[in-house]
Amino acid sequence: MRFEAPIPGANLVADTRNYPWHRPPDLTDYDEAVAYMIDRITQEEQAELLYSLLEIKTPVTAIVSGLLMQAIAKGKFQIDLAILIAGPVARYIQIWADDEEYNYEMGINNPDRIRMTPTLLKVALGIIDDDAPEQEAMPAAMPAGGLMGAPEDPVEGQASEDEQAAMLGMMADEPVEEEQPDGPLA
Amino acid sequence: MNFNDAVTKSIKNFMDGKMPKNLTEVTDGEIMYTPEYFDGFAESLKEDPAPEEEEDEDEI
Repeated sequence: MRFEAPIPGANLVADTRNYPWHRPPDLTDYDEAVAYMIDRITQEEQAELLYSLLEIKTPVTAIVSGLLMQAIAKGKFQIDLAILIAGPVARYIQIWADDEEYNYEMGINNPDRIRMTPTLLKVALGIIDDDAPEQEAMPAAMPAGGLMGAPEDPVEGQASEDEQAAMLGMMADEPVEEEQPDGPLA
Repeated sequence: MNFNDAVTKSIKNFMDGKMPKNLTEVTDGEIMYTPEYFDGFAESLKEDPAPEEEEDEDEI
């Protein structure tokens, strides 16, 4: 039993208006929001952070996502506007990275693209993998003879109809010799 | 779709030169930061690179 859990219905009486994202946003215009983000990126501290993130090969999409999250948490704009301005912000970072000659990664994957794998490449080039486990080869000749050995000639080894009938107890015509009891009890 | 997926999709569309249709209707087509604007901005940066700061001779 948890005694530290909130009382049921506590969320209905809690004052959540102090959260920035629960108040009306500061910016509602598309251009104003983009200008705000560009202004933020060009600030010295943010620019240093951006340099560092691009240096460690962080995708631009992840950087933009983080920057927008910060702005949403501060109540600058709402989530839907943040998604709308993600493109311009990413484009600005791309231009900026190109200008500074950074080797960056955009992080945009095309879902229709067929992902190249080592196996796919080997199949495309017709390369047979020597490391692949080989299938167990069938023996050239089946073992013959012995109790468990396969018959050398299936036709010869096949029981005749009489033998099969005898084995099935269908030979009723043959007289069955009854054993005569011997001894003092006879 | 979570927030990161939506951001990635938005970026991809913008890079492909697409703008949200309803956005242009709401703002009466007066949008400054369009893909064309950024293309022009990138070209202007290539044409006019920032001048390198000249070293002060006194400091040397």
